[in-house]
Amino acid sequence: MVTQLAGAADTAPLRERLEALPFKIAYESYVDGNSDIFVMNSDGSHPVNLTKSPELNEHYPQISPDGSQVCFVADKGEDRDAIRSLYVMDINGNHRKKIADYAREPFWSPDGKVIGFLDQEYPKFNVIDYYTKGMNYYDLQTGQITPHPNYTNLHHLYNPGFSPNGKWIVSTVHAGMGYDHTILLIEAHGNKIINLKIPGCRPRISPDGKQVAWGASDNEIVAAPLDTDSSDPKVGEWRVHIKDDKNKIYHVAWSPDSQFLSFSRGPDGEGDLSKAGTFQAACEIMGVYATGWNIGVVSAEHARTNDLNRGTDADFTMLTTNGLSNKQPVWFRPRM
Amino acid sequence: MSVIRSLFLISLLAGLSLLCSCEKSDSEDQGRAQPANPAGAPQATWPANTFGVVTKSGVEMIYLPGGEFMMGSSQGNADEGPVHRVKISGLLMDKYAVTHEMFTKVQLPNPSHWQDNPKKPVERVRWRDAKQYCNERSLLEGLKPCYNEKTTDWDCDYSASGYRLPTEAEWEYACRAGSDGFFDFGQPDKLRQFAWFADNSDEKTHPVGQKKPNLWGLYDMYGNVSEWCEDVYSPAYYQESAAVDPHGPPSPSKDVKRVMRGGSWKASADMCRATFRQGQRTGDTDACFYTDFCGFRCVRRISSEELQLRQANSK
Repeated sequence: MVTQLAGAADTAPLRERLEALPFKIAYESYVDGNSDIFVMNSDGSHPVNLTKSPELNEHYPQISPDGSQVCFVADKGEDRDAIRSLYVMDINGNHRKKIADYAREPFWSPDGKVIGFLDQEYPKFNVIDYYTKGMNYYDLQTGQITPHPNYTNLHHLYNPGFSPNGKWIVSTVHAGMGYDHTILLIEAHGNKIINLKIPGCRPRISPDGKQVAWGASDNEIVAAPLDTDSSDPKVGEWRVHIKDDKNKIYHVAWSPDSQFLSFSRGPDGEGDLSKAGTFQAACEIMGVYATGWNIGVVSAEHARTNDLNRGTDADFTMLTTNGLSNKQPVWFRPRM
Repeated sequence: MSVIRSLFLISLLAGLSLLCSCEKSDSEDQGRAQPANPAGAPQATWPANTFGVVTKSGVEMIYLPGGEFMMGSSQGNADEGPVHRVKISGLLMDKYAVTHEMFTKVQLPNPSHWQDNPKKPVERVRWRDAKQYCNERSLLEGLKPCYNEKTTDWDCDYSASGYRLPTEAEWEYACRAGSDGFFDFGQPDKLRQFAWFADNSDEKTHPVGQKKPNLWGLYDMYGNVSEWCEDVYSPAYYQESAAVDPHGPPSPSKDVKRVMRGGSWKASADMCRATFRQGQRTGDTDACFYTDFCGFRCVRRISSEELQLRQANSK
């Protein structure tokens, strides 16, 4: 169902419009018995495996603002003895460097000089995404790791990301810091915390800093205005609403021009234990093999509701179709 | 019945000499009036004494000698019948529901809604999270884990020495504590003394052990948090239940519900009765599980050989 008709200029099939964009999308996929980081064009063409490391399972790619580097996490080992570590490398797959062990969910500062990440809550592995304690900043020039000034109070965060102005980190919190479950703005270099009071998880602020998108439920992704330059940022009314009554939709990400939203989509489930190096939990969780999951894109140019089971090819398109646990898409503008 | 009594006596004698570290439970309140029999169950033979132990990792448990009881009720919901005779082997059961401090001790993330007191019971626990706790606690104490984490349902090896969730029958046997009624303490108007439930909880959980225990020394069986059991929930299971240590029906391929027993902070008094059955989605396919009355406690099967060994060691 489309509640507001699309404009004449964007009635062409979405895939054709994506083909003309100068962007790429990084994501994770499980091929040949192993999870790797891939990059494809914004229309889904020409997927390239960046990692190809059978001894490690790479996940959660995050691209530097200038498009030259990718950081990610990699799991080694099995069960509760597994170790999740943080790496950074060039976007062509060269010069891989380990940053930290027992580290999770990296995110780039807007100037590209720092990678933030979360510490694992306890040494024993757990695949649950909120299994975190504290936050750190890795300085790419010096190699120094500095704890967030509010490190000791940051608990059970997941999916953090900087606001484009560098003032805030937006993150989900579950059963921690006195919150039941909510999305927070955490002052990047101070102790202030603002509860955005929006139900859901995995928020992403648009590159133009004017909107936030997040998963409102297992079957909904929404986007709404958010002014992170304000001293008291608040989330406005939903303007984009993506829904899918038949599948889960997760891991929303903005295109660099803030005009499109990508997401992961697939059936409910709790992982496929026959896949080596994966874990058993909800399919959307990192490290869990998600049978039948693929990457999709919708336009976020106009206020609208996109029902993925009723929309047309002008409304949305799927970029991958092999169903090999394709998750965690993130857009970037390749370095020219 | 003589065989059962003999088995019970062996277990009891061994249990009596169990550990210097054993504490006598508070359960031997012989002065309480015998409960009425609103559940309509025939009389059964019950073990009379229980004993407390402290495990290697410092968890207080109660040894429940094996015995027989009449499970279910003819006066409850349809799924509580028919009343049927069940024999339960002796076992150790946690004296309290698993608390925040117990859960994090084995390096698991505390999912609970109310985190203001480490003595509160964990809630919002998925069925598999509870089983993972059981395995981790087994490893911490050098016991063989009961659950095979490589199988879809984490299949249970009931012969293993480690911790596991109670079966539904074990849970009801423990909750009834030798009584034949809905509540082991007698009339429902005394429930406030034994349970945190909707009428007195102030809509939240409370630290474990603040209310009176049941006749076998187990706390919070009727309220605070409801407790996961191992069994698949089937409303018709009592019609086909095994007579000895029943484990519940086989798991269906999808839409599985597992048994949850006992009342909770949000339950009505009626839902707190010993025979009340709930089938709950496990939450295992949810990234975040919001059912904030789902807790659990562990059991461990203890063989007569182990009891005898402990008896010898304690001399």
